[in-house]
This record gives sequence, C-alpha cells and structure tokens, in this order.
Amino acid sequence: MENELKQLIIDTLDLEDLSVEDIDSHAALFNDGLGLDSIDALELGLAIRKKYNVKIEAEKEDVVKIFASVSSLAQFIQATQS
Amino acid sequence: MRAVEFVVQEWNAWAPGTDSHKAWQEWLGHQIFDQSVKSVSPTLVSKQLLRRLSPLGRAVFKATENFSDSDRSKPIVFSSAHGEVNKSLEMLKNMHKADEVSPTAFSLSVHNAIAGLFSIANNNHQEITVLASGQDGIAPAFLEALGLLQEHHKEVLMILYDEPLSDFYPSLPFALNAPAICALVLKVSLTGNGTPLRFCRSVATREDGEHALQIFAFLKFLVSDDKALELGNHRHSWEWRKI
Repeated sequence: MENELKQLIIDTLDLEDLSVEDIDSHAALFNDGLGLDSIDALELGLAIRKKYNVKIEAEKEDVVKIFASVSSLAQFIQATQS
Repeated sequence: MRAVEFVVQEWNAWAPGTDSHKAWQEWLGHQIFDQSVKSVSPTLVSKQLLRRLSPLGRAVFKATENFSDSDRSKPIVFSSAHGEVNKSLEMLKNMHKADEVSPTAFSLSVHNAIAGLFSIANNNHQEITVLASGQDGIAPAFLEALGLLQEHHKEVLMILYDEPLSDFYPSLPFALNAPAICALVLKVSLTGNGTPLRFCRSVATREDGEHALQIFAFLKFLVSDDKALELGNHRHSWEWRKI
C-alpha cells in the first residue's frame, strides 16, 4: 500500500526525478520533507478519491495529521476502507 | 499622445531553435523555427517549480536567464494574448468527459500564472502587471512599462510571450496565431546605454495582426537595420523609431 501510494504521489504530482525508493514512508510530505505545497495536497486528495474512493474532508478530518507522511496517509485510507 | 523616448538596454528571446541574438539574426533570413523542439529546460529554477511550468512558461523562464538576478527582481510587465488558454481547453475537455478538473491545472490556467511562478522563483516583490491585449497588440505593454518608468522606477522588464493556439479554435479570419512558442524579454529605461527608441501614435490604419504576430515583428525590428516599425490592427497604430 505504501509503495503504491508513493507511485501515485510521483505520478500525480509530476515528481519525475523521484522513485519510490527515494520517498521515506515516515518523512514529512509537505514543507521540509518532499517540499509539497497546498496545491499538491488538493491534487493528491483528488487522486486518492479517484483511486481508493476515499474522501478526505477538510472540515471533519485532521488533514494535517493524515497528510503528514506516506505512512499516515496509508493508515487513514486502510482504516476508512475497512 | 506626444512621443516618448526610451532605451532598450538589453533584450533576449527564446523560440524553438532560436535562442540567441545571433540565431535571431539568422532567423531574419529564413524565418523558420525548429518545430522538433517541443520544450526547453530552464536551469535557474527549482525542480519543485519546474514541474509546474508549461512549455510556454519554460520559454519565459529560459528567455530571462541571460539577465542578472537583480534584473529579474525589477518591476515587470508581462504581456500575452492567449496566455495558458491551451491549458483551459484541456480542462474543458476533461469536464466534457465528466472527469474532474485537476486543482493544479486550474491554478496554473489563469492569465497571471506564469508571472506568479516567476515572482516566486525570483523572490520578486515588485509591481508586476500581466496584460492580455490581443487585438491591440504589443503597444499596451510599452505604455504600461513607460508609465512605470515615469513613476520613478529606473528600469522595467517587459516579457512578451505567446504560443500557437490549439486547432480547436478557429482563428481565421483573424491574424492572431503565433507560428511558434516565443518569449521576448526587454529591459527598458528612460536613459542609459542600449538601443534608444522613440514611441508614438501613428495615424496609419494597419493590419499587422494581433499580439502573437506582433512579437515577431518587433524581433525583426530589433535585429534588422530597419529604422522604424509601425504596428496596428485596424484600431490604433503605433510607431517605434530608432534614434
């Protein structure tokens, strides 16, 4: 799941020079880590909704926590699906 | 309007296969572009921003690379007839297919998208204007830049850019379609070294086409020995004269 998410991040956000191995599951996705920004968050949210049919609702969920890392994102998707 | 004199201190332009003063001089002879070149990679931009740049945005960034960091931090007048309209067309096509619109594509489709990315990349906090003066051609960009110079800005950067429109848009009978992606950058001031020009209204009624075509006419004027350039598109006409 985590590797699949990493590939989705790379493809969706045009991070062509990165590979799955380059992304640490526990590293920060935004700001310091991968350096993603708020537009990337929207784009990723859309891609996750399309692929996993999981909607991340900004009003209800703790978005910062969910988007913290690949690991936290994977946990949220799996928990919502099951 | 009385004539205004100003100086083009430096200029540079990028089009496919044509990316130096020498190449533009050669272009004068054949006026063709290397259409096999689809895009260019600017070097002075982070990878995080580079992925957001369309071929048109890349042309703009590339054309400014010969300028100094401080030049890229000056007030800028951007001018483009169509901007990223091809991006908007792609989004409309996706909507037509009932697909969802990409937030990234949407945010980068607005007319000041390239200017915004440019200001981020160059940490430019100066006054930046983005014009869309299709029918009126490139003259409004000069009026805007000269206005900034009159308001005590010593030097202003002008960036004129356009790309060919998708076949989806029937451009005929209007002369508005660029033959190739092109970005022209001019550093202008009221005094100083460079090419001094006198700019004024012309009474002639002319049909020189819209903004995208006038960029090339101005480039021809810059690299040739022509003393004057008149440009108009049915409405107002303007004259640039080397002095």
